[in-house]
Amino acid sequence: MFGIGLKKRAKQDLRDTPIPEGHHLLEVNDLKMYFHTQDGIVKAVNGVSYTLDRGETLGVVGESGSGKSVTSLTIMGLIDMPPGKVEGGDVLYRGKSLINMTEEEMESVRGNDIAMIFQDPMTSLNPVYTIGRQLSEGMRLHKGMGKKEALERSVELLRMVGIPNAEQRVKEYPHEFSGGMRQRVMIAMALACDPDILIADEPTTALDVTIQAQIIELMQEMQQKNGNAIIMITHDLGVVADIADKIMVMYAGSPVEFGTRDEIFYNPIHPYTWGLNRSIPEPAIDEKHPLTPIKGNPPSLVDLPKGCSFAPRCPYATDKCHNEVPPIYTTETGHYAKCHYCNDKDFVAKNAPATSRTKTAPIAEKKGADA
Amino acid sequence: MADSNVLLRVENLCKEFPVDSGFIAKHSKNARSVHAVNNVSFDIKAGETFGLVGESGCGKSTTGRCIMRLIEPTSGKVIFEGNDVASMNAKELKAMRRDMQFVFQDPYASLNPRMTIGEIVSEPMVIHNTVPDKDERIEIVRTLLDTVGLNPEHINRYPHEFSGGQRQRIGIARAFALRPKLIICDEPVSALDVSIQAQVLNLLSDLQKEFGTAYLFIAHDLSVVQHISDRVAVMYLGNMMEYSDWKTLYAEPCHPYTQSLLSAVPIPDPDIQASRNRIILRGDPPSPIDPPSGCPFHTRCPIAQAKCSQDKPELREVLPGHFCACHFAEPNPIKESSIEL
Repeated sequence: MFGIGLKKRAKQDLRDTPIPEGHHLLEVNDLKMYFHTQDGIVKAVNGVSYTLDRGETLGVVGESGSGKSVTSLTIMGLIDMPPGKVEGGDVLYRGKSLINMTEEEMESVRGNDIAMIFQDPMTSLNPVYTIGRQLSEGMRLHKGMGKKEALERSVELLRMVGIPNAEQRVKEYPHEFSGGMRQRVMIAMALACDPDILIADEPTTALDVTIQAQIIELMQEMQQKNGNAIIMITHDLGVVADIADKIMVMYAGSPVEFGTRDEIFYNPIHPYTWGLNRSIPEPAIDEKHPLTPIKGNPPSLVDLPKGCSFAPRCPYATDKCHNEVPPIYTTETGHYAKCHYCNDKDFVAKNAPATSRTKTAPIAEKKGADA
Repeated sequence: MADSNVLLRVENLCKEFPVDSGFIAKHSKNARSVHAVNNVSFDIKAGETFGLVGESGCGKSTTGRCIMRLIEPTSGKVIFEGNDVASMNAKELKAMRRDMQFVFQDPYASLNPRMTIGEIVSEPMVIHNTVPDKDERIEIVRTLLDTVGLNPEHINRYPHEFSGGQRQRIGIARAFALRPKLIICDEPVSALDVSIQAQVLNLLSDLQKEFGTAYLFIAHDLSVVQHISDRVAVMYLGNMMEYSDWKTLYAEPCHPYTQSLLSAVPIPDPDIQASRNRIILRGDPPSPIDPPSGCPFHTRCPIAQAKCSQDKPELREVLPGHFCACHFAEPNPIKESSIEL
């Protein structure tokens, strides 16, 4: 990917083609990515679906090993195959399938139309090239820019992401930058070709909170300016509360719940989402409430439970849950969840955790539900 | 401060790591060093949880390690049950460590892969010879494993057969094997997923209720520290900035750094998050090799004045039990009008 010889190419970008009628900017339909290993088939991504439009931010939350990173790496075509194999489903970008693209076509999309920021800013920059050269690489490859022009644009980009003294800094090497500064460089690099979609895989996990706040603010500013879509992969519910429009909660390779930010935070219907909610220490000032953790550990992706994959840890699981895979239940607003009982309003009202909205305003309503 | 209840008192603890290697460089007049911990003082009462928070590189882990003398402090006193840990000889140190144990951050690196968990958990009892009888020891280990929520039947398994959360439970069982009076927990949950993190936090609270152990809880996650601690201290660049009981510190922080830190933590509730007044600090923390003059925070502080770059503010008691190192400390020094961003 980071070859020395940079082919100059100035061809039609896919992002200039209009989105076909009835399609979204990005559509992921029932995507399945399995890894064939010695221990068996690892079902890393097992039926993920969502849509994304320009200017939107999708938050993908889940614990480690829930398949959130593999989903986005599959979209980018960055999974080694073998051992990986797409076992079904499709990813449509502006109506065109990314899964069926040739490597050459994919190369012009990757880093250009769809760009990615990785978790660890310490290891995702090449230590032997200057920041300027690494920033220029994408622009020279995708935009056919000359060396000088690309370097000028690099300075501009560094300035845009808030790096002081940019003319000097482009000549420096990654080790001369702090963690937060390197993550800014990664963002500048991802934005260099003005992408349609920016995938950020845990972009702030390795950073301190004060730096995290800076990076999130920067990503939002850039989105407002460029109108790109963001896929924000994180394990931190606080981060998605801050920036996401839509949220997908993943567990053991499948999305268990998907909805708008308000739906996920104030009207969650899946027991796993409730469990996550109750596991987080509340920022309450008055008194401390004990945490209610989710019992047990996530299942092995090689040997998923027969029924619902969350059933062994779910406090409400019944025989049906242990034996039958739950269907996806969708509401009118597009809010969906994968649970046998999530369309049972009484079940949800009885067991869902209290939120700041239910606690203050609709007390009367809650009383009605209890009676 | 002369409270009979005080279990551990840290006075003016300092730790400097030399930067330059070699005999001449080390002994030259202008040898540089990393000022990891700078005049830190606090005390921990028996049975309480004292939280220590700060960003990476602020010296919180070094403080924890100096207290146990896993690394030698440069100067200062660590008084544990009336005896100065810093001046103990090896024999005294060993006896002291019976009462002070450590839980490490990384549950993958802190357990010997060649020992069964039975051996790991019983090792402290062997070293200190508290339970000479082997069968009795195994019985205690089984009880401990049961207490921390592991199956006692797994006593002969090896660490690799356990998940991260379970390994952290093994580390906790080991720390409790000697029924210590103080356990230093250095980021015990930061390597774990949220659902597992909650399990371990609950376990630590339950064990504290049962055994009355005091914790020094070191973490970077402010909401975790708030949840578990009775009192909380905030460190920045090796200095103690503020400490108080948890309620006051989180509700009415006096130090501008504490306020910025609290406001930077995203709250998992969009309504609350949208209504907050956020202070976003500019820049990175300065290097501890060459810390700024005056107040260590003045380079990033939104309300810094000329005085801040010259005089270093001392930790002073602004309200009873509430200590803060800032010239302008008062509840909420950063008001909307004073922020210019």
